[in-house]
Amino acid sequence: MKRIFLIGIFALLAITFIIIWSKSYYAEKEEALVERPYETENYLIPAEMGVFERAGFANAYATIDENYIGGRSLDTYYNNRAFHGAPPSIPHPVVNDLKMGDRSCLKCHQNGGFVAKYNAYTPVVPHPEKVNCRQCHVTQNTTGLFKEITASAFPKPSIGNVAFVGSPPIIPHQIQMHENCLACHAGPAAPNEIRVSHPERSNCRQCHVLNIKETVDIGEYIR
Amino acid sequence: MNMEQKNVNRRSFIKKMAAAAAMTAAAAMFPGIIFASEQEENIPIGGSLDWKKGPCRFCGVGCGILVGVENGKAVAVKGDPNSAVNKGLLCVKGYHQAICIQSKDRLTHALVKKNGNYVKTPIDEALDIVAKKMKETIEKHGKDSVAMYTSGQSTIPEGYVASKLMKGAIGTNNLDCNARLCMASAVTGFLTSFGADEPMGCYEDIDYADYFITWGNNMAEMHPVLFSRMLEQKNNRGAKIIDFATRTTRSSMASDKSILFEPQTDLAVANAICYEIINNGWVNKLFIEKHCNFSKGKTNIGYGLEDKFNFKDEPQKIDFEAFKEFLRDYTPEKVSKYSKVSVKDIKYLAAIYGNPNKKVVSYWCMGMNQHTRGTWINNLVYNIHLLTGKISQPGNGPFSLTGQPSACGTAREVGTFTHKLPHGVVMNEDDRKLAAKIWKVPYENISAKPTYHTTEMFRAVDRGDIKFIWTQVTNPLVSLPKTSRYRPAMEKDSCFVVVSDVFPTPTTDVADVILPACWHIEKGGLFGNSERRTQHWDKMVEGPGDSMPDAWMTIEVARRMGYGKLFPYSKENHVDEIYNEYRQFHEGAKHGMAPLEVLKKESGVMWPYVKGKSTQWRFNAKYDPACDNGEDFHFYGKPDGKAVIWERPYEPAAESPDQEYPFWLNTGRVIEHWHTGSMTRRIPVLHKAMPHSYVELHPEDADKYGIVNGQKVRVTSRRGSCTLPASINERGLPTRGQVFVPFFDENMLINDVTLDAFCPISKEPDYKKCAVKIERV
Repeated sequence: MKRIFLIGIFALLAITFIIIWSKSYYAEKEEALVERPYETENYLIPAEMGVFERAGFANAYATIDENYIGGRSLDTYYNNRAFHGAPPSIPHPVVNDLKMGDRSCLKCHQNGGFVAKYNAYTPVVPHPEKVNCRQCHVTQNTTGLFKEITASAFPKPSIGNVAFVGSPPIIPHQIQMHENCLACHAGPAAPNEIRVSHPERSNCRQCHVLNIKETVDIGEYIR
Repeated sequence: MNMEQKNVNRRSFIKKMAAAAAMTAAAAMFPGIIFASEQEENIPIGGSLDWKKGPCRFCGVGCGILVGVENGKAVAVKGDPNSAVNKGLLCVKGYHQAICIQSKDRLTHALVKKNGNYVKTPIDEALDIVAKKMKETIEKHGKDSVAMYTSGQSTIPEGYVASKLMKGAIGTNNLDCNARLCMASAVTGFLTSFGADEPMGCYEDIDYADYFITWGNNMAEMHPVLFSRMLEQKNNRGAKIIDFATRTTRSSMASDKSILFEPQTDLAVANAICYEIINNGWVNKLFIEKHCNFSKGKTNIGYGLEDKFNFKDEPQKIDFEAFKEFLRDYTPEKVSKYSKVSVKDIKYLAAIYGNPNKKVVSYWCMGMNQHTRGTWINNLVYNIHLLTGKISQPGNGPFSLTGQPSACGTAREVGTFTHKLPHGVVMNEDDRKLAAKIWKVPYENISAKPTYHTTEMFRAVDRGDIKFIWTQVTNPLVSLPKTSRYRPAMEKDSCFVVVSDVFPTPTTDVADVILPACWHIEKGGLFGNSERRTQHWDKMVEGPGDSMPDAWMTIEVARRMGYGKLFPYSKENHVDEIYNEYRQFHEGAKHGMAPLEVLKKESGVMWPYVKGKSTQWRFNAKYDPACDNGEDFHFYGKPDGKAVIWERPYEPAAESPDQEYPFWLNTGRVIEHWHTGSMTRRIPVLHKAMPHSYVELHPEDADKYGIVNGQKVRVTSRRGSCTLPASINERGLPTRGQVFVPFFDENMLINDVTLDAFCPISKEPDYKKCAVKIERV
């Protein structure tokens, strides 16, 4: 009886061995490359996506009176940059010259907020994805000049550029690096001269179009 | 089951309460949502402006506008705060529209070609020439040798008199319109699935839906005001926008999710969604048992590339089991392989449609209509909504958007297609009898046989079968597919070409007689938009010189041809008189049109207009008084009151990329320009924003060819070529192996390159798919 039992166990072990071995043998022979399922690609259009970037804040912005003065006027806005589109300089002392981006500047400038010390709201950066802030934005450590320059002020984009009575103003400035309209035109820190009365309509370029589009010379066409 | 049902109800009830509360709160907190008040403030000059109501001239959304008139001149445009469509908001085209009539090259007098030169001619004389020529041609070559080609931008009276002249008086069905190029597949989709044309829902669906799924549709640019309403719901209620397309666009950027698919495979993905819905038990069984039939039609139906192509579908009833069996070829795994949509994304889409607690609206426009299987893909999206019972309810339903301002009102309702009559089709004896009675013509006058659809009409011009053609409110030599064939065709001496237009275009260039037309606000009229809304406007300013409303030109020519008795209208009041006559065609609960007094007072009214009320959701007994089967839904367009779920397979495009022509060519529009640009390019703001056309490339494809932004690229197909500057990473981003070109630019005619293949059922051409090669110039 005992012998039969032992033989039985060995037979069982042998069968198990054969099964396991053959399974692994066939598994080894299987093609190593498994067909990968198709993954949808997603693309971004830098020039188009910015418009919608701060739309999540739009309803909150809409609660702000469009004439509210949150610390900045259009004059202080332009005084702080060489010309429209030039990176503004940093008008306040910085805590640490070594820190950058999300560790330092973006703490305040990503979403804004009130700063009691300056009695003003923090302006919001239109391109928070670029974290090497001090690459373009520098502090001003002196008011003097090395040598006088002759250049006078650059012309500022004008306000109220309408083509037709009551029609939506065109965009009078280039928008590279600040495709995100709401960053400057909405929120408490926006200069009240250029604050939009209807930030909740997030598709800005439905009504406001660029009129200084850079074009390529396509020659004269006569039909 | 019972428990679950209860849960669903309670949940949706709580949600409704929350939504209502949120909406009240939003309205109180954000006065800016009601756009109108602040618009009034923005008008700098006060007092002297007279604001006149009308619909916008441009797209099928049908925004209400108010035109500020001062000293007989249009000096301002604003959104009509009373319009339920746009609530006071417009898009950049809408705000600036009235500037175009100040263009210096405006056509103000008739021009008749004599010895190769255009001679300024008094309008009466020019109309004499047109009438004489039309009459002569009929006498010499028969009534089927003359044709009229009109538009989805024609007003209701314009379409009506054109139909009455051609079908009633002359007795030929040689009348078609450019809506064939944009809406025909939507029409055949509705007719095959529901037996009744035009959407069942309305724009108010936007206020209730949880999900917006857009099928091949860049609404941020093409239907911007509706898209803004969607964005408002997204911000306020957390509604989600899913962009399902072949190209990344501004809409994709604003959406919660963007899913890209390989051109033409929308057919397969729609079937895969149905497979998932059935496989997961998400089917609304009660709904399909009570309200749906299953059918299949012919397959391998061709592409209409050869002249005189003919096709007739043969529907066959099937059962649910057969439909299930058919769908086994469309598992997400199988479809993913050629659609390039991941299995996960297909299942995601199906789960949205299948979730009984979520309300879904599907939107589409040209992506699905300009498709060699346009009727099929329309059917397939209806299948999804029918299987889940998500149809004809506030916030739930398929919604076919229209391109042109009156593609619904004129082309589809008045019926300026070869097979159509103001009520029904020419093939139907009762419909012919009704038309003959109202038109007061002998019944035998109306021919029972449809003749040429648009593409075939211009092929007939090329063959010399049509000897006289009159186009109104459209610019076919920019907008037709394969203009490389049809431009030389129109230049042939065998055909006398009359073109009515406001501005010179490439089509007026080939005309023998050019008639100066009044623009939009220089005449009165009626438009009908996508949501069955009819809008009336009165003449606001005088047209310049000899310019004349298109309807009146048709009437003048009809009178000169001896049909004066059939056109007894007065010049001052013809719009009202014609509308009152036309209204008789649609009497009844299924299509009743509002009386003129109501239309003059209100900013648009929706049909069926029954007992002083617009019908917002058709086929739903709760909202639609025409439902009379005692059930909750009644698809009364079909004789048995049931909608049809169609078995429609995936079939490849007419022309796909190959070694020699390795790219798909997709064409379309941009926000700044309306169709062929003849109006919008004459508006400085819009021209400066979008001065010329371009060819969009994927950055990797551009790299491979060494093409940089702005560099000139020649796009060539088997039919023709077109050279345009490259655009990389600007307005849109096509997938690898695809290029996109807007068609508005008459100086860079991309339609010389496109293919004139069409859907055999709807006869609508596919402008979105053909094979091209590109090279640096």
